[in-house]
Amino acid sequence: MKLDCKHIWRELSNYLDGDIPPEVRRDVEAHAAQCRHCAALLDSTHNVIVLIADERRLELPIGFSERLRKRLEKELATIRHD
Amino acid sequence: MSLTVPDSLADKKEGEFELIDRILSGGHELFYELIAPYERRVFMTAFDILQVEADAEEVAQEAFLKAFRGLRSFRREAKFSTWLLRITLNEARMRLRKRREVSLESVFPTYEEADYAPILLADWREIPAEALLRDETRRLLRESIAALPENYREVITLRDLNGLNNAETAEILGLTLGNTKVRLLRARIMLRDLFVERLGHKTGNRLSRGVRP
Repeated sequence: MKLDCKHIWRELSNYLDGDIPPEVRRDVEAHAAQCRHCAALLDSTHNVIVLIADERRLELPIGFSERLRKRLEKELATIRHD
Repeated sequence: MSLTVPDSLADKKEGEFELIDRILSGGHELFYELIAPYERRVFMTAFDILQVEADAEEVAQEAFLKAFRGLRSFRREAKFSTWLLRITLNEARMRLRKRREVSLESVFPTYEEADYAPILLADWREIPAEALLRDETRRLLRESIAALPENYREVITLRDLNGLNNAETAEILGLTLGNTKVRLLRARIMLRDLFVERLGHKTGNRLSRGVRP
């Protein structure tokens, strides 16, 4: 099936997640090969997602775990679950 | 996509449930062990929603406290991490609401129904991949995430930043799988636009707003 740009936008997320039937994937790729706007949209959105995933490696603030432990200590000593 | 849970994941879940049993029967100290793998994710989730480090830390602490207090009510159909992130999200939302009450800021439009046309950018590929690694670019990305409406920021935080799958994200947000995917799609396109606008501003690229086909 021939897809128009609007179809591509709708399938963008599923396409990038690999959550798309093979025939739709082929249609998206066929369209992107012809349409530089959609090709750029797919590429750039993919890049942004990769960039966000990269942020996962950010460090916690210094002393975060120690302060958390301190805050939890009192609670852990007083609360009874049973 | 595989439908079976890999053994290591199932083992991890079982290990956590066992740990929770021991905490509930008095081994409170083990709570630190239970939460240690999630400290970063809880903080990052709070930070992405609140954008202020001190607030995010407080909210993260609150979330862990609540998780401890409510541990008995944790139903084991879900993963502990999913449950913990839902508590974190709720705490962060409450904090945001309080902030708004103080600043009398107007409520964001939700954009959920809005039809959205992405900015057309044909020359993205001319931006070298190395450029994406620079600190400045990361700052622009942070700014762009901060500029998203709240409901979009939440879905991006859970799905793309935390790397949760669609089903887990849906569960935490209390949405259907379909609605989660729709919201994610719009959030990603809007984030990409906000980012491209900032990047274009910086590099002097000329961008044009897409005409809806």
